[in-house]
Amino acid sequence: MAKQEYLMGNEAMGRGAVEAGVTVVTGYPGTPVSEVLEYVSSYPDVHAEWCINEKVALEIAVGASLCNTRAMAVMKHNGTNVVLDFLMHLNYTGVRGGLVLISADDPSGISSQNEEDSRIITHLDAHLPVFDPWCAHEAKDMVKAAFELSEKTELCFVVRPVTRVCHARSQVRLEEIVVLDREPSFVDDRSRFVMSAVTEPKAGGVLRPVLRHKWLNEKQPALLQIMEESRFNHVEKGEGSIGLVTCGIGYAYVKEAEEILGKKFPILKLGTLPLPRSKVIKFARKMDKLVVYEDSEGVVECLLKELLYDEGIKVEVAGRSGFLPREGELSATVVLQSLAKLYPELQKLIPETVTLDIKIPVRTRTQCVGCQYRGLLHALKLMVRKTHGIVTGDIGCYDAGSFPPLELQSTIYCMGSSIPMANGIAYSGSKQPVFAIIGDSTFFHNGVLGLLNAIHNGVDMVVIVCDNGTTAMTGFQPHPGSDTDVRGRPAVAIDIAELATAAGAASVQVVNPYNIPEVTKALKKAVRTKGVSVIVASMPCYLQVRRTGNLGFTPRKVTLDPDRCNGCQICVTYFGCPAIHFSNGKATIDQATCVECGMCVVVCKRGAIS
Amino acid sequence: MNFNILIAGVGGQGNLFASAILAEYFMSQGYQVLAVETIGAAQRGGSVISHLRVSDSDLYSPLIPAGKVDILVGFEILEMLRNFRMLATDGTYLLNDYKDPTVLCNMELDTYPSDENIREALQKSGRKGYIIKATERAREAGGSLLTNVVMVGALCQLSLLFNSREVKRVLTHKSPEKVRELNLKAFEAGGVLALEVMKQSPTRGYLGQG
Repeated sequence: MAKQEYLMGNEAMGRGAVEAGVTVVTGYPGTPVSEVLEYVSSYPDVHAEWCINEKVALEIAVGASLCNTRAMAVMKHNGTNVVLDFLMHLNYTGVRGGLVLISADDPSGISSQNEEDSRIITHLDAHLPVFDPWCAHEAKDMVKAAFELSEKTELCFVVRPVTRVCHARSQVRLEEIVVLDREPSFVDDRSRFVMSAVTEPKAGGVLRPVLRHKWLNEKQPALLQIMEESRFNHVEKGEGSIGLVTCGIGYAYVKEAEEILGKKFPILKLGTLPLPRSKVIKFARKMDKLVVYEDSEGVVECLLKELLYDEGIKVEVAGRSGFLPREGELSATVVLQSLAKLYPELQKLIPETVTLDIKIPVRTRTQCVGCQYRGLLHALKLMVRKTHGIVTGDIGCYDAGSFPPLELQSTIYCMGSSIPMANGIAYSGSKQPVFAIIGDSTFFHNGVLGLLNAIHNGVDMVVIVCDNGTTAMTGFQPHPGSDTDVRGRPAVAIDIAELATAAGAASVQVVNPYNIPEVTKALKKAVRTKGVSVIVASMPCYLQVRRTGNLGFTPRKVTLDPDRCNGCQICVTYFGCPAIHFSNGKATIDQATCVECGMCVVVCKRGAIS
Repeated sequence: MNFNILIAGVGGQGNLFASAILAEYFMSQGYQVLAVETIGAAQRGGSVISHLRVSDSDLYSPLIPAGKVDILVGFEILEMLRNFRMLATDGTYLLNDYKDPTVLCNMELDTYPSDENIREALQKSGRKGYIIKATERAREAGGSLLTNVVMVGALCQLSLLFNSREVKRVLTHKSPEKVRELNLKAFEAGGVLALEVMKQSPTRGYLGQG
């Protein structure tokens, strides 16, 4: 029997790349897809690297591919947005060694700021082939096939798993790891790899971008043929004349619905873009209606409509354009409800659910007990109250400061946007002081350019960098400010304060975020300073160092004197430590949760905590 | 055979370890297993849900469809209530009588439902289930961190699909040596707790008593 291992979808994709003989794997951490690179890093022969951002990751991977080695870049959809500029040239140049881009989507935005569908960028915009897996095993097979086909077609292949495929664990069959006996070789081909607006004398003076665009367009028939024959697309027979077209994870939910209903529907299971044209036509001709199940936009729905229109086939096509919910992830329940709309007699077969007659409070994310940033956020909150300041936020743990009870950051968009947005607020003529708060990994990712721009233009603003030396939110991946790499080997740590100083910031202060008076003093100075003031709040993540004893505070048991507590709630609404409880007009300290950081002693203005 | 277990708890309660033990047990018995956890930010204190699906044939959706959970395991009361609509008509819940109030509840900015309201809502639901003091028993056995293993021990009494001896073998194998003995003790304690409460009629438990 073939060897099986219980793997997460992400691990299965990493394994697929290793089995395909990958040499270089790069990426930037992001839920749902971080574990691909972490898994690959357990193979010492593969160069695995967390890069400063996704664009750099893909560029590194393509450099390796141009030397005829196999390479892969891994990112979530937000990262695919970051690589768009490079991608729109990579599609014209093509690749040499097999190149795979894993672009994971997060329908419903379970761990993301949006729920976009990155197939729109990679396929509709860049015209690259995309594989959309329905399960971990297929994801692994697709990664392997993508490497082969990438070399065959000279195109970058994209694999687009969604969160439920990335995170699902199942028994995955392991296959042999291929060792490619290849010497890296770079062969010059400037007509391909120099993307520039030059005329090509050999092509009668046509501009190179037009020629390369033509090259990409001429690849499409070969891709169509590949997808026509692909094992990732198939047809299943069933009752009725409504064809269910499933894309990626949609197949899992439709099959689940079949099991629950005890019925077989005609299914066209799709896993590729471009679509297998003749297969689609053959299927559609037999149907009166097609319903497309895809996460999360109606990409295939639109492509089908276009294809059927061109072929003159009059079949109704329904899907994400209104028949199915236009937002949120698919699920077996969504599929079942849609089938009950098509076949009302099925309604009674949908599993019953019971709703409890009770109000269930939400569990919002917050800083952990002992988090060094709670001190920083508290000091900033008080400063903002005093100065009527505006705080722009960014992506990372500290973003929980924007939720109740603190409600500090007024904006959060995408990686690095806090600094330029604060800059714009300053330009508006607003008299309110502006503060941008950004984490260290995010600062390196896409924040540093905004800072350089603001320093260059002498903008009056405060930039606070939360520097814990790691990418804490996604599970402690290193970044350019960390002193080790993904395998724990020593790496050059770039000092953010020195960087800001070298760039010419008006003032640069390094503070201990646990020390509220120190942070407050730094904020006061920063607000008074003309130009960009940078505060670097440096302290390792408490969760990482709590077992080493190498803490940023001296642990002290704190108690609360109920006679002194006047119920002002500053410890709740301006600090919000989960170890401080409040009831019947008084605060109490939950000793079981408290980690003795002692910050609340300073927070209480009545001296009730000691 | 299709069997679906959903474990609902909060971060730090060892939800993933419990799911991993059960997954390995079912695989060792020759079943197909498909599991998924809600994992997001690394921060502590959020909801954590594990879906575990077991079958002797192919499995499709990694998420258990609503209304198809055979055993709903609640490591924490609120988190079980939050996922209650997942439970099948003939499903069973196994609830740890333990409250982890939300940050906002602790600050009186939100209200944790009262024992009486919880008991009433569960009774009105018509679903059967058991409530056990797993965290309390875990503390007696060596620490509240053993709650997950106590719950697994109790869970094993709820279905004939579980062979306690085999689950213990997996637990022994998967436990770090330092806590192996404690885990085995907690597992046994969980089994005893479940048998005690099962002697009484369903939906009876300790909620809010003592």
